[in-house]
Amino acid sequence: MAFAIEFFVRRLSQGLLIVLLVAFVIFTLLRIAPGDPIRIILGPMATATAMEETARELGLRDPIPVQFGRFIVQVASGDFGHSFIRGKQGGASGGSQDGAPDLSQRAPVMDLILTALPYTLILASLGLVFAFLIAIPIGLAAGLNAGRWQQKLGLYISSFFVSLPNIWVGVVLIYLLSAKSGLLPAIGYRGIAYAIIPAIVVAIEMSPVLIRAIAVSIAANVQEGYFNVGQVRGIPRSKMIYRHVVRNAAVPLLNVFSAQMIGMLLGGLFVVEYIFSFPGIGLLTINAVFQRDFPIIQAVAILASAVLVLINILVDFASTTIDRRLKF
Amino acid sequence: MKTTRRQFLAGTAAIGVAGAIGAPNLFSQAFAQASNTLVFAAAGTVTGSWDPSSHTVAPQITAEGFLFGRLTRCPMTPENPGEILPDLAVSWSQVDAHTLEYKLRAGVTFHDGQPFTARDVKATYEYASDPSRPASAWYPGRVDVEVVDDLTVRLSTKAHGYPALNFWYVSSFLPILCADDVANPEKLKQRPNGTGPFKYVSTTGDQINFQAFDGYHGGKPAIENLVWAYVPDANTRVLGLLNGQYHLTERLEPEQYVSLSKEAGIKTDRSLSSENKYLHFRCNKPPFDDVRVRLAAFHSIDRDQVLAIVGEAGQASNCHLSPVKFGFTDVEGYPEYNPEKAQALLAEAGYPNGQGLPEIEYITSVGFYPKTREYGELISAMLQEQGFPVKLTTLEPAAWEEQLYRRADGQGPGHIVDVGWLTGSPEPDLVLRPNYHSSFALINGINDAEIDASLDKQRNALTQDERLKVLQTETLPLIAAKAPSISLFSSVFLRAMSSKLDGVTFFPNGPVDLSKATLS
Repeated sequence: MAFAIEFFVRRLSQGLLIVLLVAFVIFTLLRIAPGDPIRIILGPMATATAMEETARELGLRDPIPVQFGRFIVQVASGDFGHSFIRGKQGGASGGSQDGAPDLSQRAPVMDLILTALPYTLILASLGLVFAFLIAIPIGLAAGLNAGRWQQKLGLYISSFFVSLPNIWVGVVLIYLLSAKSGLLPAIGYRGIAYAIIPAIVVAIEMSPVLIRAIAVSIAANVQEGYFNVGQVRGIPRSKMIYRHVVRNAAVPLLNVFSAQMIGMLLGGLFVVEYIFSFPGIGLLTINAVFQRDFPIIQAVAILASAVLVLINILVDFASTTIDRRLKF
Repeated sequence: MKTTRRQFLAGTAAIGVAGAIGAPNLFSQAFAQASNTLVFAAAGTVTGSWDPSSHTVAPQITAEGFLFGRLTRCPMTPENPGEILPDLAVSWSQVDAHTLEYKLRAGVTFHDGQPFTARDVKATYEYASDPSRPASAWYPGRVDVEVVDDLTVRLSTKAHGYPALNFWYVSSFLPILCADDVANPEKLKQRPNGTGPFKYVSTTGDQINFQAFDGYHGGKPAIENLVWAYVPDANTRVLGLLNGQYHLTERLEPEQYVSLSKEAGIKTDRSLSSENKYLHFRCNKPPFDDVRVRLAAFHSIDRDQVLAIVGEAGQASNCHLSPVKFGFTDVEGYPEYNPEKAQALLAEAGYPNGQGLPEIEYITSVGFYPKTREYGELISAMLQEQGFPVKLTTLEPAAWEEQLYRRADGQGPGHIVDVGWLTGSPEPDLVLRPNYHSSFALINGINDAEIDASLDKQRNALTQDERLKVLQTETLPLIAAKAPSISLFSSVFLRAMSSKLDGVTFFPNGPVDLSKATLS
């Protein structure tokens, strides 16, 4: 128990620092990168004077550290602010030159994120399920049959999948499974059926890493002395695999899952949601980037980095629970 | 537990068969649309304010096309760019140099049930032309409206010192608002109340819902529900059209247009727009403050090659106006590709073979207009061939838009900027004045007394014939000769729709008339 408390206190304080650093970097980059939200808010023909006035009213002409300080204080009170671009009903808008946007008429960023989050969670979960459905049989077969055709098949499949750009896979699958055959819907979301094709794309992107990780981890354990000793002592091969090999292989797999998969999943979801016009966090964020909707980008960046940090902490904790040798 | 090849293949085949059998039963009807609902996959967003005088945003002008009526309609065809058809006005005439008279249609109602009368025209015109309104740039200046009777109005520009003819075509662009709404700007912003074929119902996220208006003066549209779905990605719009989720989409890439033209169940539409594509020179800083250098660049660019890249999305024209605008003409002496002339002009300007020219930044966008990066690379190469040390900067739309216009100090970034200019009526001054009159010159910063004088002369002409003559023989040749910008080509709008959709009319500035459309 004392270990757990010490572990979480130490890691959460480190995590908070990382999230703050990420927030500051994103905040600064947004403000120095080309592209001005005021031009999007007020439209192409807004006068230079009107633009300056609006920028000042929104606090965008203050020094970056001042803006960041104000933002962090606001976030600490649980308020991620209001979107520059999206109205109360959540729709993107821009180009109204009637002065600075009335922020009370703009969507609160947290509401937008909470509205989009369930869609992203559905897509991510389904994508992960599909990825595991693809990767577990292939990876297990490859790991248990090192040097044989199963291993080569695993290698070929993962090499093939890794070489497919997800934009291209998405377009081809929509064309084949939706436009040509009419099997599945594909654009937007009006039910779980709409998540299937995008989830397949997510799974295709994630499964190569999983296949390789499972295959390598299983193969390494199968080659360990305990595997043969156990069988010599009369434990059936299947029992050795399920009780010992899979359990021992789980630690590196968990690390792969946290360090690579979640990052990949987040990145992949953004692109996939955009192609499929899937109304999740990814679509919200990519549109926010195009529209320079700073409050949304900042909030998503902070929350995404917080999620990644938390998952890493939890995975490290789980790893030490599975294998106490990792206690540190 | 050894897995044989046979077991593995049998297992995967079983999963595949189960999926193939199960999927159609579960999902085949999942994305069928409600009957008589048309989904329009739009490439742009609206502003969030439904006051038409608060913006100059093209997608919103398209949305307003469903909702609002105008006094007149201009089909803007190249064959007859000046044609005017009735809408809320049934006839119109020029009373004198400063007065236009409109007889209004009887029996028209707004979506909220209020009757349309001369009072609404007066409120709309006087409000929208007020220089304090952001979109007043679309109108020639202030106008006073006299209500002669409930169904007759007179527009008067006398007090404001310019001819009323400047409103002749603008009347096909200005949406007519309800006088009571104009009196209450908050109401005006929050929901549109027009006399158009569809009425606003609600906004849900990036989707706007419209419904056929029972009381539309042209008869209730056959399409009961209209959904405006904002879909930013062009590929997604096309794929949604192919799988039947969308019925109509706009702003296709040329390749998409070509491939959709061959698809069963899809119809395509290709029509000349009121937009020209320009390369603006920053005329108020070196080296393009020298007309000889601008012309040398003009003569360095082979526009035929540019058009070959643009493909279906462009049409050749030798004029700074689109062929659907009043005043268009094939300008005699329009600068053509001529490397020898380019070299002679460069030498005369003191830059033989381009020696001594500063680095020239050419700013363009990607993802907004078709093929801008591709022809930007070509144009850069052609300019470099003549000695212009060009650096091409390609930006995504938000960054490009920030760089486009001149700043408070009068200067704009870079030296050459790629941009289009789209307006909603045949009125030529909406293109010429903001771009070439020194009081605006929003992008190029040209300050030329001769151009100003010629622009004022055509604007102040007292008859359409006189105005046409000045435009075609003086103003447009002068702009071509002084070359504050190169008009590369006229844009062609590429759209696609379900073959079940009939009776759609497209306007050259974007709006779509669905009042007579049917979806079988």
